[in-house]
Amino acid sequence: MSKIHVTTTINGDESEFLCTPGETLLDALRNRLGLTGSKEGCGSGDCGACTVVMDGQMVCSCLVLAAEAQGTTIDTVEGVAEGSELHPVQQKFLERGALQCGFCTPGFIVASKALLDHNPDPSETEIRYWLAGNLCRCTGYDKIVRAVQDAAAELRQERTPA
Amino acid sequence: MRIVVMPPFDNEFFGGKDRLDLEAGNLFGMVRELDALSPGFSDVAGVRAQFAIDGVVVPDWSTSLAGASEVILLPRVGGG
Amino acid sequence: MNAPESKRAFRYVGTRPVRPDGVEKVTGKAIYGPDYQAANMLHGAILRSPHAHARVRSIDTKKAEALTGVKAVVTGADFPTTEHIIMAVGESSSDLVHLSRNCMAQDKVLYDGHAVAAVAATSDEIAREALDLIEVDYEVLPHVLGIEEALADDAPVLHDDVFTKGVNPTPDKPSNAAMRVEMGKGDPEKAMADADVTVSGRYTCEAVHQGYIEPHACVSAWDSDGQVRIWASSQGHFAVRSLTAKILLISEADIRVTPLEIGGGFGGKTTIYLEPVATLLSKKSGRPVRLAMSRAEVFRASGPAPGAVIDITMGANKDGMITAVDMEFKYHAGAYPAITAHSGASSALSHYTIENSRVIGWEVLCNRPGTKAYRAPGAPQSIYAVECALDEIAEKLGMDKIEIRLKNAARPGDPNIMGIPQGEIGYVECLEAARDHPHWSAPLGPNQGRGIAGGAWGNYGGPSTAQVSIAEDGTVLVTTGSPDIGGSRAAMAMMAAETLQVPYEKVRVAIADTSSIGYSMVTGGSRTTFATGLAVTNASNEIIENLKGRAANIWEVNASEVAWGEEGAVCLAEGKTDETMSLAALAARTTFMVGAIGAESSVNPGGFLPGVGVHICDTEVDPETGHAKVVRYTAIQDVGQPIHPDYVEGQMQGGAVQGIGWALNEAYLYNDKGCLDNPGFLDYRMPVASDVPMIDTVMVEKFNPGHPYGIKGVGEVPIVPPLGAVACSVSEAAGVRMRDLPLTPDRVHEAMHPDD
Ligand code: FES
Ligand code: FES
Repeated sequence: MSKIHVTTTINGDESEFLCTPGETLLDALRNRLGLTGSKEGCGSGDCGACTVVMDGQMVCSCLVLAAEAQGTTIDTVEGVAEGSELHPVQQKFLERGALQCGFCTPGFIVASKALLDHNPDPSETEIRYWLAGNLCRCTGYDKIVRAVQDAAAELRQERTPA
Repeated sequence: MRIVVMPPFDNEFFGGKDRLDLEAGNLFGMVRELDALSPGFSDVAGVRAQFAIDGVVVPDWSTSLAGASEVILLPRVGGG
Repeated sequence: MNAPESKRAFRYVGTRPVRPDGVEKVTGKAIYGPDYQAANMLHGAILRSPHAHARVRSIDTKKAEALTGVKAVVTGADFPTTEHIIMAVGESSSDLVHLSRNCMAQDKVLYDGHAVAAVAATSDEIAREALDLIEVDYEVLPHVLGIEEALADDAPVLHDDVFTKGVNPTPDKPSNAAMRVEMGKGDPEKAMADADVTVSGRYTCEAVHQGYIEPHACVSAWDSDGQVRIWASSQGHFAVRSLTAKILLISEADIRVTPLEIGGGFGGKTTIYLEPVATLLSKKSGRPVRLAMSRAEVFRASGPAPGAVIDITMGANKDGMITAVDMEFKYHAGAYPAITAHSGASSALSHYTIENSRVIGWEVLCNRPGTKAYRAPGAPQSIYAVECALDEIAEKLGMDKIEIRLKNAARPGDPNIMGIPQGEIGYVECLEAARDHPHWSAPLGPNQGRGIAGGAWGNYGGPSTAQVSIAEDGTVLVTTGSPDIGGSRAAMAMMAAETLQVPYEKVRVAIADTSSIGYSMVTGGSRTTFATGLAVTNASNEIIENLKGRAANIWEVNASEVAWGEEGAVCLAEGKTDETMSLAALAARTTFMVGAIGAESSVNPGGFLPGVGVHICDTEVDPETGHAKVVRYTAIQDVGQPIHPDYVEGQMQGGAVQGIGWALNEAYLYNDKGCLDNPGFLDYRMPVASDVPMIDTVMVEKFNPGHPYGIKGVGEVPIVPPLGAVACSVSEAAGVRMRDLPLTPDRVHEAMHPDD
């Protein structure tokens, strides 16, 4: 099978890979680029564990063809922290105990950051509906929602000059 | 001493008897006595059974039965 | 055990520090089952039966083997003939032959999705292409899915070597009734006849999947000298080792299983599915082989919790004292005998003192995947019926639903149905906390109803091993054999820090492979913080004794003249009472004293206590659509001493929401061919964030005197009360008693509008 050559920007760095025509972006990230932070919980767009941001849009990378990544900018969980500095969403997940097994966590981190990038002061209901595409079986969502609320508050404080 | 046999072991191994009277020094001895009554019991006891001595579940079969008045034989209960 | 004098005098226990494995999990660095890659690895795939029940006449793998890139093909014929020996699996047991056949069918397939062959190839695509080239000749047999149907005289029988266990004499005809248990006390018939009020009903619930988000996955590498390495996520890598060894007739020392991070288990990862298959593929190909399930494979071929049909009659006197219970339940076992009937029967009434009872439980084989543990296996179903019946009695008597429970609640020392005293259980305290909670007295809105239900689980101890060692700079390393599913590394570090009196941040925790530490039972049954935590505490105490001895030698005093505290060793000998020596200072002397500072402890503790809980649920029902939504939820539980409260609350919240899913949405949909029509998250609908409110928690902290830190297992109980709490709540909101779960909109609508 002939392979497709893809050039894309991932977490700020230019990357190239070869993929098959039917390959998903999730598989390319995980198997070709070693970015195993994005998880496959379902492969059908129903669990959100594979969530990445592609050209500013939150997508399930299991539903995107790897070849479609040509020329795009992709942000994965591996790029959420700035160097060794955790993003407030990550920090608040830790402080709130918002992960148990942690398998859903990368998807929630990416989705929550995307929410706060776009809505700095979401209500509880907005958080719950925004995250409704991400399944977590361990936590019952309570601590996740609270972590996102905490992160939103912290980000707002950071943005407001004292 | 009195042995209370919980289901399904009573019917599965001891002809429906749920009360037995046996003497043994410890639970290993007890399992030998039970196996004598129902050959094959000792093969499954290690993975399927647990014992309570006078109301306390005792994981170590070398625990002495001296002074004990009742042993309950019950299935080991699974967990998630 | 040197129990701390005051249970409140803890420095770390009961606080909420960040877990030691947290950063790698929020940054995507942690390596889970499907993430692991071995050098030169092949990709495996499994061919699964499209039939619910069929005889396998023959399998032709020649074309698949001939495909370029295919390196190995395995079928049931490659599995060594194993004996019918009973193996411990998780905390229950299974017949080894059944375990082996479940990994790979021989002769017969028993459910849609049953594995029949496997391929390893240089790529995933080639492996899948090869599956299409395998020709299986099936003789399709009639199948049976329902419990009552499977017990019918003319039902297709799954196994010709399963005879009902627990009846005397053992029947000589094989049947789908794998087990019957009966327990009870007193004279339920007479007491029922004498009761002032009685209620009866049939309650049903569906089989549900544990729903862990991480599909099963492993990599196995067989070397030509017979040694095998396996990397897998599971609830217990020692169980992976022993089961794989027994199925493949390999010695356990030849298998080294490295635990990867586990993405949820809830009981469903206490067994094995893939490891023996990957190992055989690796043996044939000479290369490491990865096998990973898709979500559809997880649904079709891994273990659900049993569905149930439960008939219950309950009698009470007019003061609300329950005088008699007579119940008979039947649980799905799935394709192979399981052992949840006993726990269903022994748990059903354990949180109440009822003088006269008879509980009969059945396990029924059917053409579905073999059932597996799912938090408190067997308890949610039977207790669901008990709690609903109690609700009906309270309604008939016009009694408060907490009062009636308080009246009948088991108190510390009360024996359970097997005659075993239950120790320091806090059911009364949980009920009182429910009564005092603002939720209980808050007004309800229109179309809303409130339900309350209790529940219990016996909990467990089990063998665990832990090592504690001190690095040369005085920092602390804890090593266990217990996979961390929900924050247990933090709990282990906290107990070590507490015992050694060192800062929490100075303690790090590793989970060792099966060749690097002694045997530990699975992480399950709410045993890890209790039992492995005890091993960590014991090893830490041993280290303190060792350090006191070292300090005594340095100071030339007796060890009995040295105490241990936050500052390290403290000299009590006359004239030297100013002397202290920190852990770091002692550790720095490692190379010129007796060598490394470390201790290992192996335990198999008793002293575990049952957990009990009470949940309050408010739902709102849309009369137009029948849709029920949980609008408020409170989970109250006797958790003993919480070590890390966030992760205790997290267990309560997660279990509650799983229970809400069980009660409202989740069910398998099989078509008339016996094939699963909803093997995905779209149609097998688990709760999402917008389906549920915040889950308020109340931790009732009734210290367990049988553990140095007062621990009671917490992970099982939370899934027990929700079925009853949700069902009673929806029944009140809908104005009609709902007895069949899940309470889907069509069911609720039909119950509300019977004449439509
Ligand atoms: S793996 Fe992409 S949504 Fe589940
Ligand atoms: S933390 Fe386990 S699935 Fe969310």
